[in-house]
Amino acid sequence: MGTNTETPTPRAPEVPRPGAGALRVILWLIFVGVIYVYGWQVTQINLGELGRKAYLIKPLANDLIRPDLIERRPRLQVADAGIGLDGAAAPAPLETRGPGRITLSPTQAAIGARVTVSGEDFAPSRPVDIIWFDQSGVKVQLTKASTDASGRFQAAVTVPNVIGTMHHIMAEVGLEGTTLGPSNALRLTLFRMVETVFLALMGTTMGVVLAVPLSFLGAKNLMARNPIGVFVYYVIRTVFNIARSIEPLILATVFAVWVGIGPFAGVLALGIHSIASLGKLYSEQIESIDPGPIEAITATGASMLQVVRYAVVPQIVPPFIAFTIYRWDINVRMSTVIGFVGGGGLGFLLMQYINLLQWKQAATAVWAITLVVAAMDYLSAVVREKVV
Amino acid sequence: MRGAAVRIENLTKIYPDGTRALNGVSFSVAPGEFLIIIGLSGSGKSTLMRCINRLVDPTSGKIFVDEVEVTALPPDGLRRVRRQIGMIFQQFNLVKRSPVITNVLSGRLGYVPPAWSLYNYFPRSLREQAVAHLATVGIPEKAHTRADQLSGGQQQRVGIARALMQDPKLILADEPVASLDPATSHSVLRYVEELNRRDGITVMCSLHFLSLARRYGTRLIALKAGEIAFEGLPAEIDEQRFKEIFGEEAVEVEIA
Repeated sequence: MGTNTETPTPRAPEVPRPGAGALRVILWLIFVGVIYVYGWQVTQINLGELGRKAYLIKPLANDLIRPDLIERRPRLQVADAGIGLDGAAAPAPLETRGPGRITLSPTQAAIGARVTVSGEDFAPSRPVDIIWFDQSGVKVQLTKASTDASGRFQAAVTVPNVIGTMHHIMAEVGLEGTTLGPSNALRLTLFRMVETVFLALMGTTMGVVLAVPLSFLGAKNLMARNPIGVFVYYVIRTVFNIARSIEPLILATVFAVWVGIGPFAGVLALGIHSIASLGKLYSEQIESIDPGPIEAITATGASMLQVVRYAVVPQIVPPFIAFTIYRWDINVRMSTVIGFVGGGGLGFLLMQYINLLQWKQAATAVWAITLVVAAMDYLSAVVREKVV
Repeated sequence: MRGAAVRIENLTKIYPDGTRALNGVSFSVAPGEFLIIIGLSGSGKSTLMRCINRLVDPTSGKIFVDEVEVTALPPDGLRRVRRQIGMIFQQFNLVKRSPVITNVLSGRLGYVPPAWSLYNYFPRSLREQAVAHLATVGIPEKAHTRADQLSGGQQQRVGIARALMQDPKLILADEPVASLDPATSHSVLRYVEELNRRDGITVMCSLHFLSLARRYGTRLIALKAGEIAFEGLPAEIDEQRFKEIFGEEAVEVEIA
C-alpha cells in the first residue's frame, strides 16, 4: 500500500471506574433471577409431584413393557350357510374352517320363521354356537347346541328381526385348547404403521414436486433481473415464510375439518409445510451456487434454459437430495403424532387407545412409533450416504 | 480459420454503485493478434473483457466484432456472436461436479438444438471432437474424471478445450493464469499461443505479470483507472516505463 510514514500513536485503553461494572453485573443477575422465579411459578413446576403421584403412572409404565402383541384364541371349526329372506335366493356360503358342513331347512324364510340347522363332519362331543351373520357384518348368537359322538348336530332357530334379504347362519364348534396369534391391537397397529409411512411419503412427495419449481421463482439471483421477477420473488418468499410458520399440527386440524379426519388430511398438512420448508432451503441453495459456471455457459452462447441445465442443475441436485431426505425424516416423525389432531396414521390409533384407557394397546402403538422412526432414521442415513 | 477483428469505440461502463470502471476506451484489434491487456486490480480489465461478449452491458460506446455491432444486438443475435467468442476465466468456471467431457461439450451449447440439452445428448461426432480438443491441451485421458478432481492447471486446460469447442474466432482470456503457479502459467499460455499462431484465432488476454505479457503478446494495452495508459508493442514497455505508468508500489506485486 502507499507510503506508510506515520505510525499511529497507541492510545491508552479505557479503564472503567472500579465498581461500575460490578454493579451492572449484579443488576443483570437480579433481572435474570426475577425472570426465572416468575417462570417457575407460571409453569407450576412442582418436583415433589413426580414422587408423590408416581402411583398414577405405574400402570402405564408397567403396560409399556408388556405391550399387547399376541393373544390366545379358542380353536374353532366354522361352517356357514346362506339364507334368503322375503323370497330372495340364498347367498353362497362364506367362511369355513375345518371339515364341517351345515345345511339349512328351508334355505328361504321370513322373519320369525323356524329354520332347522343340521351339521355334520364336525369334531365329536363339542359345544356349538349357532350365529346369525347379518348383511351389515353384525354377528348375533342365536342358540347353542353340541355335536354327538359322530360329529353331527341339529338345532332349530328363529329368524331374527333383521333388515335386508341376504344373510348367513354360521356354526362355530369349539375345540379343545387355544391358539396363539397376533392380537387385534397388533394387527391394527401394523396397518396404521403402513399408513404412517405412506403418509410421510406422500406428504414429502407433494412437498418436493411443488417446491422444486417454486424454489426457482424464489431465488433472488435468478429473479432479480427485472421488476416483475423481483415482485414474484417477494411474493413466493412471503408465501414460503407464512406457510412455514404454521405448524403441521395446526394445518392438520384445519384439513381434518376440510376433508375429514383421516390420512388425507395428514398428507395435506405435511405437504403444505414441506413445500414451504423445502422451498426455502432449495431457494437458498440456488442462491448460493457458484456464479462462475453460469457466466461461462452464458458466454458460450447458450440459451437461458441451457444455462440452467448445465450450470445450475449440476450444482443443486445433490444438496436438494440431502434436504429432501432430511425433510422425509422430519415428516416420518411428524406423521406419527399428526393423528392426534385427526391426521390419520399411528397417532390416531394411539389417541384412541389412550382415551379408552387401554394401556397395553397404547403401548403397542408407542412401540410401533418408536420402531418406525428408528427404522426410517436408519434408512435415510443409508440413502444419504449413498447419494450425497 | 481466420480470426475476428475487434473495434471498440469510446466504451464507458459505470456500475450502479457509481464506480466508473471504463472511461471512454477506444482501440482496435486486428485479426490474428495476441493482444495483452495489463493493469492493476480494479483497472477495468475484467469489465472490458466482459463488455465484448456483453456478460456486462456497457453504459455507452460501441463494440464491433467483425463489423457486427455487438452493443446493438437483440438476444438471439447476441447468442450467435457469443458462440464464436471463447472465454477463459481466472477461476476456470468449470461445473465442478460434472465430468470433464461434459464441461468441454458445454462449449457447443450455442450450436446444438436446445431440446438435446434436456437429455444431455451430444452426437458421437461432437464427443470425439471434445476428446480431440482435450488431446490438444494434453489431457485426453481425463475425459471422464470429475472436473474438481483436476489440478488448477488441468482445469484451466479444460477451460481452453471448452472454448475450442465453440470454433472461436476470438478468445477472451480474463486473467487466465492468475490462480496458477509460474510453471503452470507458461504451459497454459503456450496452449493459447499455439491456437493463436496455428489457427489464427484472435486473442485478447488480460494479465498481471509484465514478464508474461512481454513473452506472449504481439501488442499490449495498459489500463489505468479505466483509461488506456499505454498502447504499443510489448518490447516498448520495460520496468521503468511500467513504474511510470503504475507508480512505485506496483513493482513488487506485478513484475515477479
